[in-house]
Amino acid sequence: MFWHNLKYNLMFLFKNKNLIFWTFAFPIIMATLFNLAFSDIEKNEQLNKFNIAIVDNTEYQNDEVLKTTFQKLEKDIFDIEYTNIEKAKELLEEKEIVGYLEKKENNINININKNGIEETIFKYVVDEIMIINSVSKDLINDEIASNNQINYEEIYQRVLNKINEEIKLNDTSPSNLSYTMIEYYTLIAMTCLYGGIIGMTSTNNMLANMSKKGSRVAVSPIKKSKLLLSSTIASYIVEIIGVALLFLYTIFVIGVDYGDKIFPVILIALIGSLAGLTFGIAIATLIKKNETTKVGIIISITMICSFLSGMMGITMKYIVDKNFRILNLINPTSMITDGLYSLYYYPTMERYWFNIISLLIFSTVMILVSLVELRRQKYDSI
Amino acid sequence: MKKVIEVKNLTKKYKELKAVNGLSFDVYENEILGLLGPNGSGKSTTINCLLSLLNFDEGKIEILGKEMTPDLYEIKRKIGVVFQEVAVFDELTVYENIDYFCGLYIENKEKRKKYVKDALQLVKLEEFLNFKPKQLSGGLLRRLNIACGIAHKPEIIFLDEPTVAVDPQSRNNILDGIKKLRKDGATIIYTTHYMEEVELICDRIIILDKGKVIAEGTKEELKELTGIEEKVTIEINDLNESHIEEIYKLPNVKTVEYEGEKLVITYGKGKNNFSKLLDYLKKEEIYYNKIYSERPTLNDVFLELTGKELRD
Repeated sequence: MFWHNLKYNLMFLFKNKNLIFWTFAFPIIMATLFNLAFSDIEKNEQLNKFNIAIVDNTEYQNDEVLKTTFQKLEKDIFDIEYTNIEKAKELLEEKEIVGYLEKKENNINININKNGIEETIFKYVVDEIMIINSVSKDLINDEIASNNQINYEEIYQRVLNKINEEIKLNDTSPSNLSYTMIEYYTLIAMTCLYGGIIGMTSTNNMLANMSKKGSRVAVSPIKKSKLLLSSTIASYIVEIIGVALLFLYTIFVIGVDYGDKIFPVILIALIGSLAGLTFGIAIATLIKKNETTKVGIIISITMICSFLSGMMGITMKYIVDKNFRILNLINPTSMITDGLYSLYYYPTMERYWFNIISLLIFSTVMILVSLVELRRQKYDSI
Repeated sequence: MKKVIEVKNLTKKYKELKAVNGLSFDVYENEILGLLGPNGSGKSTTINCLLSLLNFDEGKIEILGKEMTPDLYEIKRKIGVVFQEVAVFDELTVYENIDYFCGLYIENKEKRKKYVKDALQLVKLEEFLNFKPKQLSGGLLRRLNIACGIAHKPEIIFLDEPTVAVDPQSRNNILDGIKKLRKDGATIIYTTHYMEEVELICDRIIILDKGKVIAEGTKEELKELTGIEEKVTIEINDLNESHIEEIYKLPNVKTVEYEGEKLVITYGKGKNNFSKLLDYLKKEEIYYNKIYSERPTLNDVFLELTGKELRD
């Protein structure tokens, strides 16, 4: 009876054109649109090196911190012309450079012509250097306060190490995770949560208050646990085919490179799909409303969860994490996106596995709640 | 006779409205019990309570000696239901629909195949195996609905208004099928508001109104309740008040109504009513177009007991 029900559940679901569109076609259409919309943005937003000048005076030459920093940055961000003040002014006037830097009387001054992205970056970098300079001074003062004998060599090394550390940190954080990749991850999370609609549709077929078909199934002698298991497995098969198609399409048609994280990404998509699916099943059993209302509830909750998990702006995720952490701990969307981002932001897999386990716990709770509700189901009106 | 279903004091409220009001009745093995009543009389609600789909406020329901609950699977296995609304999957073919619902009861594939074939024969849908429900006419769809409910050869069958909105040919097919199911040993609970169907197939009838049993018995026993022997209808063009008064005075006449050139006379027990009426018309030289006599119907019973027509 289990296989019989599984077979027919698969038939209902695969022959449901609306469901197939939202499960299979819609994510692929969205992926295509993302590709069309964001691939150019990505190309345009790649930072090209830009020209600056540094006044190569004695004060600059004596500032090892400043020199080391700009030598580092010269590789990736700036094309630097070392020159005198007059030439620097001339280059700026002729718009050959974005701006120039001059160290004068222990102050670092920058001169720019206008406000723009490159000018902002230049100013930001110099501000950072000034902060590092301040840190250096603090370190030296600490050393002086604690030790009468100052080891300048050691202090100098520590400052350089600190600068290297800062620059290294900037290199490793989100550089691998491009804006477009975040959008594809969003799409994966969204596809997982759309599993809720499949779960709900499948469960509605066994609920007497949803249709007479449901009444017919409800009066049959099959245990609710068997019915629920077979319909959940059938829905999960449909859902993972949808997710698999999305992965195949993004990899082989669009050319998305998931890099060496592909298997953890697929795993979290599979577990996330289960969470989405069981969430839909729970809504179907717990909410005694018609199908349209249930779909509305699933979509609304999904959108709220997505918003809180930072899909529409990563800042929201940090606000919720800081002020209402419990919300993100029970939010399946947050578990999926956090799991995906953790693959890139954290050097270890601890946070990733924490999210996987959280999703499994969420799925188990949803399915148990649904089963309890289904087993005792008698209605006040149908 | 073995009691198959026992309902005691069943009460189901929807807020203040009592849809079923202290209903008690029994169903016996291999009988066709008709639940007859107008729309809203509580027939479907009663069936849904019996099937443990609906909560009820008071009362007790026993099926095959056991109190009915949603997880009484051994009893559910022996029950078949045909709901008033067509309950089939649009995505599946005729064959697949019957196979699916039959498979919820019958695990053995070979046995199920035979049962599905038998069900198709019973409702005469063999030619439509691969049709989708949307390709079927209303009557054929109703037949599919029945096949889905009875394919597993249940001992007890609930048929909730299975002939609503079907053509005469399909209706006859359905009624023949129901008689065959009884012949094969099933006990049938048949709800309808079509009194002709009840008279045709039911062994025993319970008449419901406003959630209450207002009469119960065989059709003959129920008709006895009216005290009417026969009803004579005559089409007469011209009839005056004195004629009507004279006719009323004829032996055994209970009521006389004259409306729209149609004279309807009901008679109580007695003999030669028809010939005495004809003698009177001849004597008074009253000419008439058509004249016919009928036995009282269940509608007359309903009218007698409630003061309103069954289809009001």
